[in-house]
Amino acid sequence: MHAVIPYVIAALLFALGVYGVLRRRNAILVLMAVELMLNAVNLILVAADASIKSTLTGVQPEAWAYPAAEPKAGAIFALFIIVIAAAEVGVGLAIVLQYYRLRRAVVLDDVALHEHEHEDEERVTG
Amino acid sequence: MTVADALMLALGVIAVGSGALVVTSTHLVRAGLYLVVSLGAIAGLYLVLGAELVAWVQVLVYVGAVVVLLLFAVMLTRAPIGPSPDLDRPAGPAALIGAGVGLGLSVLLMDAFRWTRYELPPPGTGRRVGEQIFGAWVLPFEVLSILLLAALVGAIVLSRPDIGARGGPDPAAVAPPPSPIDESPEVVARLERIAARQAAAQARVRAQHAAEVAAANQAAAAENGAAQNVATVVEAQPDQRRDPSEMTRDELLRQQAHDVVFRAREAGPTLGGEDPPPPDTGPRKVENTVGEPIPDEEQPALPPPPRELPKGDDA
Repeated sequence: MHAVIPYVIAALLFALGVYGVLRRRNAILVLMAVELMLNAVNLILVAADASIKSTLTGVQPEAWAYPAAEPKAGAIFALFIIVIAAAEVGVGLAIVLQYYRLRRAVVLDDVALHEHEHEDEERVTG
Repeated sequence: MTVADALMLALGVIAVGSGALVVTSTHLVRAGLYLVVSLGAIAGLYLVLGAELVAWVQVLVYVGAVVVLLLFAVMLTRAPIGPSPDLDRPAGPAALIGAGVGLGLSVLLMDAFRWTRYELPPPGTGRRVGEQIFGAWVLPFEVLSILLLAALVGAIVLSRPDIGARGGPDPAAVAPPPSPIDESPEVVARLERIAARQAAAQARVRAQHAAEVAAANQAAAAENGAAQNVATVVEAQPDQRRDPSEMTRDELLRQQAHDVVFRAREAGPTLGGEDPPPPDTGPRKVENTVGEPIPDEEQPALPPPPRELPKGDDA
């Protein structure tokens, strides 16, 4: 099997996630793009788990590259990242909904990072 | 090119294609559904790569929970069902950076793994993954469970401000509101807004009443042949104010306040001699539904107009 296929797929997915994070103004869509990036990293981890061992067969079994030290480490990392992504999306959506409740908007360009203003803007933008 | 390679290519095309639709679709809900397709294709890639447990956890957690959570958020923020035109920033810099990242990573990884071949791993690795998680990786596993608990509590606290505010008084919340006596720019702007709103409501009522009186007079004139009444009544109605565009700001403000206080009575029932029907000003427009109610705060700044309109005060 060609190892390059999953890696290139993961690179393209990561690029799509970067594009989405930079392009989108809606906070929920930005979270979706972040999910794409996390999945690209997961795919790289799993692909490395499956393919690095055979790459390292000719290498001297050093401590840092011993293939059989932690089998399935990539899959376990991917599981951990999935859990972290679930936590991230939960807290992120709580923040987005709270902001929506305060300001009736989910547009990231309008988020005032400085002081709290007294004038409320009635912008409801999807 | 083996069967696994072809399968992986097909799944990768699906994943990347629907991922591109996620970041370019103008429908919020469709973006979420394309995300389901993309994550499902990635789960298929995990299966082909021999990580069955990761694939099923991906289906369970991502497709089953995270996307549902995202769609819930789409629903709760009242996103429109149709296409949303103002969803995106200009595409230039984002496309540039995205294409740069994609090209750079692809070239790097292709250069590194171009000649690498590997064998399909043996199936049925769930047991080995479990042994590893609860053997070598047990400490990160426990830390991760604490992280999940913290995220749970954090999400609850964030979405319930009554819990979150109990910890300490927010300095922004306890700061006294600006005194309405001060002629600060916000107060002036609000006074102008209120005065303009009330003047508009009065003008609306006056115009409606004038039209009714004119209609009644026309009906009377058609009977009596005394048509000159119409002209006098209609002539009496227009506003004697100067053109607002040639006043200064102070003059305009004073004029509007004067209108609110004194001219309100003229719009009352004495105008036509008979009781006008209550004006239909349409449904009340709720200006400020969140935060502190502004009219309470502004009440002392403006003396309440003495019985200005029967029901049409729009403030």
